[in-house]
Amino acid sequence: MTRRDFSERDIHMALDGELPGEERMAYDSWLETNPEMKARSVRYIADRAALRAAFAGVMDEPVPARLRQALLGEATVKAAAWRSRWWLSAAAAVVLVAGGLAGYVAGIDGVGRGDGADDQLAEQAIAAHVIYAAEKRHAVEVPASDKDHLQTWLSNRVGLKLVAPDLAAEGFQLVGGRLLPAGHGKAAMLLYEDAKGERISLFVTAESADKAKGTYMAEKDGPEAVYWLDKGYGCAVVGSLPRERLAAVAKSAYGQLLAGLAS
Amino acid sequence: MNEKKAAILGEIPRLRRYARSLLRDRDSADDLVQDCLERALVRLDNWQTGESPRRWLFTIMHHLFIDQMRKVNRRGEAQMLPLEAGEAQAAPAEQVESIASREIIDALQAISPDRRAALVMVAIEGFSYAEAANILGVPAGTLMSRIARGREELRSLLDDSARRRSIRVVEK
Repeated sequence: MTRRDFSERDIHMALDGELPGEERMAYDSWLETNPEMKARSVRYIADRAALRAAFAGVMDEPVPARLRQALLGEATVKAAAWRSRWWLSAAAAVVLVAGGLAGYVAGIDGVGRGDGADDQLAEQAIAAHVIYAAEKRHAVEVPASDKDHLQTWLSNRVGLKLVAPDLAAEGFQLVGGRLLPAGHGKAAMLLYEDAKGERISLFVTAESADKAKGTYMAEKDGPEAVYWLDKGYGCAVVGSLPRERLAAVAKSAYGQLLAGLAS
Repeated sequence: MNEKKAAILGEIPRLRRYARSLLRDRDSADDLVQDCLERALVRLDNWQTGESPRRWLFTIMHHLFIDQMRKVNRRGEAQMLPLEAGEAQAAPAEQVESIASREIIDALQAISPDRRAALVMVAIEGFSYAEAANILGVPAGTLMSRIARGREELRSLLDDSARRRSIRVVEK
């Protein structure tokens, strides 16, 4: 085997993983005998680390709503969201009154607010629902048959004591769940299905500083989210059910989630 | 929502990171990503399911970036901001950057767009030379020389800003 001469060009190739494996040892020993080249290599490695660090934070930023809308074709979001929010505040009030959830005194301040944490939670929940509820075979990561593990795993990841609500009385059976990114944190998604194959999902995150509640629709005729935010957690129930039914399911789910959190 | 859109959705964080390294301003970078997504939607049929959307999307975005740079040049605006001007730009409020990060981001903006794209493609985005050359539409040799010159330019710009910083300290 002939031993080739190395040059500065090889420093870049080595750094970028393009140096053939069999040349690596010869390269390393060449570098050891060339202090100037060695220093250059060390410097480039440090600069690359700084470059990566400088942009690493971008990966953790939530995807801006306008980009998701550009992709999912929700150009009419604003107007639709306003109309549905208007309706939904009334519906949410009914849900809460009917549910008798004493102590929940945030009022109907979700109404008429601009893009806030509530919109973001609802949009994330709807986007997740749209993607995963449509999946037949890969809708969940952990199936309902492994419910104990599902609850423990999601609770640990999300940082909340999560108990999957029993929605059998509303006609829904748990399909399973998955872990998702949400804002700077994580969210648990629980998927349910009724006898006709209609699916709804629960989206729960430990990230919230606001108090708000309401309903939200990202797209006309798209699925709707009923959400609650409180300090330390947020929850949205998403589905394409008739409003009264979605409200009833959401009420039951929310009550059980709250009880689970407190248990 | 179909599988293709779901897969594209998953690439948005990487597209945003790449755009942010090409264009310092956050809104301009997101504008570039949005243009890329819109163009991708129109050409959805060109992309085969099962194939990673990453290379396809990066190629679309790179063409848009190059077009934009050409327009800027035609309008006669300065293509390369001097470092001082870069430093004078206030960082967006929500963006917390360390001094080191700000210096390297400014330096990256000061090198030519071609070199910047080539360097970022391999050093941050982790593409191989072959993939990056393909996305950027240049021969491998050209890609390699852009990377080498880009790294050298970046190093000397960082040395300059470190020197200026030490002068400022001395002046105090």
